[in-house]
Order: sequence, then structure tokens, then C-alpha cells
Amino acid sequence: MNFPGIGLLKGFVVTARNFLGSYVEKDRLTTRQYPEERPKLPENSRSFPFLVFDGEDPEAGMRCVACKICEKECPPQCIYIIQDRDAAGKPLKRPRIFDIDISVCMSCQICVEVCPFESIRMDTDYELSSFDRFGSLVLDKSKLLKSNAYYHGIHPTEASETDARIEADRKKKEAAAAAKAEAARKATAEKAAKAAHPPEETK
Amino acid sequence: MELLERAPVELKNAFLRVLGSLGVPEGMLAILSAVLIIGTVIGVFLGLFALMSVMERKILARVQNRYGPNRAGPFGLFQPVADGIKMLTKEDLVPRAADKVVHFLAPVVMMVPALLVLAILPYGRDMVPVELESGILFFFAVGAGTEVAIFMAGWASNNKYSVLGAMRAIAQMISYEIPLVISAVTAAMIAGSLSPSVIVAAQGGFAAGFLPHWFVTTPWGFTAALLFYIGALAESNRSPFDLPEGESELVAGHLTEYSGFKYATFFMAEYIGMFAICGMFVTLFLGGWQAPLPFLTVVPSWIWFFGKVCFVAFTMVWVRATLPRLRVDHLLAFAWKFLLPMSFAAFLSAACWHYAGRGPAAWFLSLVVVGIPYLVLGLSFTSRFSVSRRTYLFSE
Amino acid sequence: MICESLKTCFDDPGKFLGEWFVLLPALVLLLAAAAAVVLRNLIHATLCLTLSFIALGILFIALGAEFVGFVQLLVYVGAVAMLIVFAILLTRPERLAKSDTALSGLGPAGGALAGFVTLGVLLGFLFTSPIAKKSLPGPASAPVAEIGHALMGDYKAALIVVGVLLTAALVGAAVLAMEDKNS
Repeated sequence: MNFPGIGLLKGFVVTARNFLGSYVEKDRLTTRQYPEERPKLPENSRSFPFLVFDGEDPEAGMRCVACKICEKECPPQCIYIIQDRDAAGKPLKRPRIFDIDISVCMSCQICVEVCPFESIRMDTDYELSSFDRFGSLVLDKSKLLKSNAYYHGIHPTEASETDARIEADRKKKEAAAAAKAEAARKATAEKAAKAAHPPEETK
Repeated sequence: MELLERAPVELKNAFLRVLGSLGVPEGMLAILSAVLIIGTVIGVFLGLFALMSVMERKILARVQNRYGPNRAGPFGLFQPVADGIKMLTKEDLVPRAADKVVHFLAPVVMMVPALLVLAILPYGRDMVPVELESGILFFFAVGAGTEVAIFMAGWASNNKYSVLGAMRAIAQMISYEIPLVISAVTAAMIAGSLSPSVIVAAQGGFAAGFLPHWFVTTPWGFTAALLFYIGALAESNRSPFDLPEGESELVAGHLTEYSGFKYATFFMAEYIGMFAICGMFVTLFLGGWQAPLPFLTVVPSWIWFFGKVCFVAFTMVWVRATLPRLRVDHLLAFAWKFLLPMSFAAFLSAACWHYAGRGPAAWFLSLVVVGIPYLVLGLSFTSRFSVSRRTYLFSE
Repeated sequence: MICESLKTCFDDPGKFLGEWFVLLPALVLLLAAAAAVVLRNLIHATLCLTLSFIALGILFIALGAEFVGFVQLLVYVGAVAMLIVFAILLTRPERLAKSDTALSGLGPAGGALAGFVTLGVLLGFLFTSPIAKKSLPGPASAPVAEIGHALMGDYKAALIVVGVLLTAALVGAAVLAMEDKNS
């Protein structure tokens, strides 16, 4: 049996050690003082989607072709797209309006997975608070469009993979086009040859 | 240093002399002097309250290895300003079924005793706002008004949690007032006076050249100081005796239906009351404004007083950071079955110390007189509440 | 007249306040006591009673009887008023709001009669007792030490008897409470 009161004193020693220790040992304080000390995010962290464009001009280099697959796949339906049309009313391969309501978005990344044009990607920016309850949380095309260089900045590995894939696709397409052209050329050549020397048996 | 010692008094006198030379009549000057003293005391304690409200949070945070408030101003020192603005701009809600007059009066009544008791504390050498022959009695008599205020708050809110909290508070305060007063009486008995300044004067001087004659250095004084300290924690509703506002059971006790500035007033009254009782503790057992070592007497006495008060307040935060809240029956059992007999033991021990000649032999005699009841009561308490190792029935 | 009193107020406010300081608590005491009797709401009546206790304590202090005043505050406000409150809160909470049993029928008349009889008896004693024939000793306040010496010296027997009586009451209450618990 202990001397009465010893238990209390032990408790006081524990709290005193923590109190003084917090001034001496820095690693006791686990709090990260946020605006000054920012956490280093893991490379694959994600917040909300954005649109990638190539080159310098956002409108010209836009990868999005307004196929609306992401709009259809989005589980909370936070994407809103209207295709652009030219003066004659003919649909163009780019969106006129592309809005994402990030107050609805749940950061599921399904839009990224379904996009066949590597156009939509996840951002890492998390400081999105604003004084406006509605307007500033709906991001329009001008806010969504970010350069490929920015994409490389936030997700270097993923961006390089994407670029490599686009490059490979482009090469494959070129090869296919070349092969097709070659085949077409051959076919026309054959046709011409046939026209020049008609087969004997048709007579 | 001599100048600094007298600085507060001399400043006031100089101000009054200037007014007197301007033709303000003698009687008016007396009133002005009183107003100056009152204003200074209240100002100092409000400042302490503001400092405490932020330091308490910082200390608690440090004990839990956090930073605590450090955003408002340098080191978070402007936090009280931010809190004050927040409290002032909040809506003042009064429940529809509340007794509106009593609901309004309760914070006012709460504030009155908290401020009144500041009048009799000796803040420094010859620095007592009101020199009362029975100052200690005044302190406890006026302090009794707090209970009325808490009851008014609890009942007028027309809320079951408020009433329960108020009843708990009253039961607790009545129970803990007895050991509190008896342990205070021991100090008054040895000093031979109920006047705080005489009690402080009785603790002056040093034994063997360096040991201060504070009452806390004697066995009976140490016991009485501990008892008074525990009673003071309970009287100011501080952890571990903060059951009246135990948020896990009672939302906020008698404060449940208070918001805005009325809540702030309660909060302020509680903290000023806490500082007052810390000041009384310092006066009774820690030698008041006396310096702890002979060569430190050059430091002004009022600095010592407020330094000691801040130290005691710090220990109260330390206690809050360490001990969990008591259960109601344990709380009352502790008061009646441990503190009350122990306060009688301290009383007896003080008498033995006095009649055995106040020498080293008396010191040991009083240690024995106070030690035996402590061991008996303490061991019976620990055996009653001893917990065996928990055994699990189904999971191992 | 008013000018005169205003002048005193400015020249010697202490004296001016001192005169009022005796009258004011007496007035509050009377009003609060009357309110405690008249008010229907039991809690309000209790609070008014507490206020009258406080006013009485202040009156004692204003008249120079510091010690009695403080004891009045400590015992009556700190303990008695709180015990009354406890008794009210622990019994019949549903009738707290409107207790209309009092002040009906012969109640007021009987109460008034009892009050006046008590007053008459007290006044009779006051005027026939030898104290009334002594001249007043003046407003000198009794020092606390003197009261203490008197209690421990001349009146020690009375003090011990009162102590034993209160201890017996306390033990009796504890025994009652314990029996209640066991049954």
C-alpha cells in the first residue's frame, strides 16, 4: 500500500514534465503551424479537377473536345458542358462552357479516368475558401484551364506518363496514317496498273 | 528601490496634491483618493484576469504538448481582446420562460462579492485599501454572496441543467467552506488577529538567516495551506471540483442559459474571485508581501505579492491540467470525511505548536499531531477507493 | 435647504454619505422584509429574505458593530438562506411557481395578530428590562479581540453549552440520515 497522496504527486510530475518538456524538446510539439509551415503533400494527392492545355494559349491548346463523357460519368453531376458552335451552327470540337461546381465535386477522379483525350486532371490546390458562398465555388473554363507545365509541376510522374502516352498515340496515329496512305497509294497504283494492262480473262 | 516600493502610494498622493492645490475641497479629495484606490485595484485585477484567460489556455496547451493560442498579437497576448469583442458582439439570449429580472441580476450579484473581497487584501507594505480589524471574517462573509448569485442564475434560467448545476454548486460550496474557514482560522489564531495585515506581519523575518517565517513552513501551516488550497479550488469552482459546470453531465451548469456579456460577467467574476482567494491564500500562508529570502527584500513588496498570486494561480492551472473531475458523492465524502477532520487536526496541531514554544521541538510535535490523522484518514481512504487490476471476462 | 445639503455633499462627501449609509440599508431591510412576506413566488420571497439579511448585516456594519455584521452575513446569507433554498428546491418543486395556499381566509389576520403580539411582547421586555434604564454607551465599536476574550472568558460556559447542543444536533442529523440509508 502506498503512502497516501503519492499517486497525486506522480500525476503532477507527469504534467510538469510535459509542460517543461514542450519548451525544450521541439519534437514533442506535433502541431504544424499551418500558414507558416505547409505540409509537403504526397505526389498523388488530389483536390479538384482542372483542364490541361498545351502550349501558350489556353483556348488554342485546349485538349478537351467537349465529348461530355466526364459530364455523363460524374457521380455527383458537378460538371456542366456546352459544346461550341461556329457561326453556321456547326458543332466544333471544343466546349463553349465548361463549369465544375467544386462544392459538389467529391474528388473521386472518375472524370480523369474516363477522359479519352488526357484533358481533365486532378489539381492539388486546397486553399479554396472564399467569402462568396456560391459564385466563387463554381469554376468556369477560364479558371479551370491550366498549362501542361503546371501539370508537370504538381504531378511530375503522372504528367510524363501522360505526355509519353500522347506522344506514342500520336506516333501510332502517324504510323497508321502513313500506312493507310501507303496502302491507298499502293491501291491507286495497282488500279492504275490494272487500267493500263487489263486482265486477259475478262475478255 | 525605496522609491519603487512606495511608487503606487506616492503617485496617488502627488495626484491628489495637484488637485488640492487647484482648490478641490478636502472632503472631495478623500472620496477621490478612495476612487483612485478602487480603480487601481479593479484595473489590476481585470488585467490579471485578461492575462490569466490567455495564459491558462497556453499552459494547458503546453501540458498537452500543443502551442495554445498564438495567433492574436505577439504570442497570442491579444487573445483576451478578441474574446472580449466576441463576447460583446454576441446576442444576449434570455429564455422565454426565464425569470427575467433574476436572470438579469444574477451576474451583477456574482460580481459584487468578487470585487468587494479585494478591499481587505494587503497588496504590499502599508498597502491595504481598507484596514479592517476582522478582515478575514469580511472576506468569507462577503464571499458567501457568490452562492446566492449562483442559485439565482440556476433557478432563473428555468432549465433543469441550470438548477442541477446550481444545487451542486451550493452543496459543494457549503461543504468546502467549512474546512476552508477552519484552516484560515489556524493562521488567524497563531497570528492572534483576524486582520490580514497583522497576519502578514506575523510571518515576517527569517529563521537561521534564510528560512522565511511563513506559516507554510510549519507542519500545521503546510497542512492548513493544503486544505485551504483545496477548499479554494472548490470555492472558485475550478477543476477538479468543477462539477457545477461539468459539461459532460450538465451542459454548463448554471451558465447554460447565459450568453454574450452576461456570460462574460460570470466568467470575469469567477476569475476575479479566484485571484482574490489566491491573494487570501498568499496572505494567510505564503507570507503575503514578504520576500522569500533576506537579500530579496529590496524588491518592492507589491511585486512579491502579485508574483506569489500569479504563482498560486499557475498551480491552479497545473492542477486543472492534471486531475480529472470528481464524482459528486466522492466530492462530498472527501469534504466531510477527509478535509473536515484534517482541518481539525491542523487546528489542534497549530495549538500544540504555539503552546510547545514555537521552536524545533514544537515543529516535530505539530508534525506528529498532524501526521497521524493524515496517515489514518489517508490509508482508510486509499483502501476504500483502491482499484484492483481490471480482469476481462470475455477478451484476453 | 437643498442648497445646504448639496454644499455638504461637495465639501465633505464622507459625512454626507455616512448619514445616508445608515438610512439606506434600514430602508432596504424594511422593504425587502415586507416583500418577503407579500410576494407570492416562493423563490422571490426567499431572495427578498436574503436581501433583508444582507441589508441587516450592512446596517450592523454601518452602526459600528462590524463583527456582528460580518457574522450576520456569513451565517444568514451563507448558510441559513442557502438552507432555505435547498429545502424549497428539494420539496414540492411543482408548486414553486404559484404557492397560493398562504394568505387566504383567516391567514393574514392571524399572521398580523401573531406579529403584533410578538412585537408587543418584545417591546414590553425592552422597556421594562434594566438595559432600557442605562444610558447608551455611545457608538464605540467593540473590537473583535474583546468579543473573543469575552466569549472565551466570562461566557465560556455558555459557549461550551451551545457547542455541545449544536454537536448533538449534528450527530442526531447524521444518525437520522444513516438510518434512512440502511432501511
